[in-house]
Amino acid sequence: MISQAAMAKRAAPVLACVGLLAIWQFASLGLESDSFPTAIEAIRAIPDILGDKESLINILASLRRMAIGFGIAVLLSIPLGLLMGRSRAVAAFFNPLLMIIYPVPKAALMPIIMLWLGVGDITKTLVIFLGVSLPVIYHSFEGAKAVEEKMLWSGAAMGLSPLQRLVRIVLPAALPEILTGCRTGLVLALITMITSEMIARQSGAGNILFNALDMGQYDTVYAMIIIVGAMGICLDAVFERVRARLVRWSEPQFDMPLSFS
Amino acid sequence: MKVVPSRSSEWVRPVTSQQPASAIIEIDRVSQVFQTSARKDHLALSEISLTIEEGAFVSILGPSGCGKSTLLYIVGGFVSPTSGAARMKGQRITGPGPDRGPVFQEFALFPWKTVLGNVMYGPRQQGVRAHEAETQSRALIEMVGLRGYESFYPKELSGGMKQRVALARTLAYHPEVLLMDEPFGALDAHTRTRLQNDLLNIWERDRKTVLFVTHSVDEAVFLSDKVVMMSKSPGRIREVIDIDLQRPRRRNELLLDPRYQKYVVDIERMFDESDEVGSPS
Ligand SMILES: Nc1ncnc2c1ncn2[C@@H]1O[C@H](COP(=O)(O)OP(=O)(O)OP(=O)(O)O)[C@@H](O)[C@H]1O
Ligand SMILES: [Mg+2]
Repeated sequence: MISQAAMAKRAAPVLACVGLLAIWQFASLGLESDSFPTAIEAIRAIPDILGDKESLINILASLRRMAIGFGIAVLLSIPLGLLMGRSRAVAAFFNPLLMIIYPVPKAALMPIIMLWLGVGDITKTLVIFLGVSLPVIYHSFEGAKAVEEKMLWSGAAMGLSPLQRLVRIVLPAALPEILTGCRTGLVLALITMITSEMIARQSGAGNILFNALDMGQYDTVYAMIIIVGAMGICLDAVFERVRARLVRWSEPQFDMPLSFS
Repeated sequence: MKVVPSRSSEWVRPVTSQQPASAIIEIDRVSQVFQTSARKDHLALSEISLTIEEGAFVSILGPSGCGKSTLLYIVGGFVSPTSGAARMKGQRITGPGPDRGPVFQEFALFPWKTVLGNVMYGPRQQGVRAHEAETQSRALIEMVGLRGYESFYPKELSGGMKQRVALARTLAYHPEVLLMDEPFGALDAHTRTRLQNDLLNIWERDRKTVLFVTHSVDEAVFLSDKVVMMSKSPGRIREVIDIDLQRPRRRNELLLDPRYQKYVVDIERMFDESDEVGSPS
């Protein structure tokens, strides 16, 4: 038996999407502009894109770069953030560096990186890596800083070495905060992925989108926007599930997650 | 002031040149200075000297802010004193170790571990096999009265239950000395009494050395062999009082015992005198 409240909760996101598409449809019918296809036209273009081998290869290449960039960023940023949160010296060393990088739009670095590394995978992956790193470092840092000292003392009394305390106490204790950073990082990975492909056009989902724009295939442009948006929503929903599982021990009993899962 | 019958220092005494063979902890002219945010040095402990005999139950009693926790942290090795030294079995204490098990005022349980996971943590760290550690831990959880709660997370427990888990978690790795910082301070009177009885039963069985910080005079008298009275600003030892009452102690007998009552009344009077809040030095 699904309760009415649970049903309403599940139906709500679907209704929101349908509502949005309906507004789009009527707006575009009303405006009658060539560059603003109706929602139905855009949706109809989706199977053509996903059925086309070339497009599919492009989209998968995008996803691969995103996964690699995100993965490496997370693997390096978490330890760095944790160390910064627990060691004044490490924080003092890296803080100014990060403060300089932080406000710079990572895409703005692309021309320079392209000069050095070309327009290939490495450049784009590097930009994704940079985009993901900062929020993950920041949240790991905040999480590590907030770890209750008596918890570390308890560990030390049991005989845990400083490194063991970092891995087995600071890391799990900061995990809720770290995963919040990773979730922001995931969305940023998607954004930097598309942006990088817009600047260095060669392959990828962004490349399809902007090629279609150049050729005036507006239904394809909008279809790609829907596809990329859907990818973002799915990735976020999957991540949110994983996150909720990992930090079940810390969740307040009644909260309303901000996600589609 | 000479108010309490026996003051022969059998279990606790200021450090002297000749040490009794069974001294387990010696605190030797320990002072602690803290830098406060006002950039002034604050003398929290001043030249504290104390010897604790193996197997003794010693309580530290004193007004809030007199440095009881700080003294316990120094013995635990979590804080190094500004001057002086603490020694465990003749070895200078330079850091924490599994021979001294703390039970903190704030519980400090690992929130990502279940009750069982928390209690097993120490033995596992010490290299006890998983199966064996689990059997021992389950027995301890039962002993502190939490049977059935093994798979609960700390956030799902009440304050008293968390306190029991914290005690079981420390007992699990068999420290020689228990360092307990107002472990029952946050509990209701009933739970507090129950846990005092439980602690006394455990202690009478293993005779571990216990250093027990408390605000409560009856708690100190009920549990201890020695009560160390501290005074504030700067934190100093004011009196060391032997509690000469038979063991095992039964609460219902003890409450009627005039000697117990006299200890409580006398110590309470002293406590009141030292309780006026001194200005921060
Ligand atoms: N980390 C610190 N930095 C600065 N001052 C401190 C620090 N820790 C303790 N103090 C000071 O040292 C004194 C003793 O503190 P402590 O926590 O040991 O007192 P206490 O006797 O345990 O008090 P309570 O009974 O309230 O727990 C206090 O005046 C406090 O302000
Ligand atoms: Mg204290």
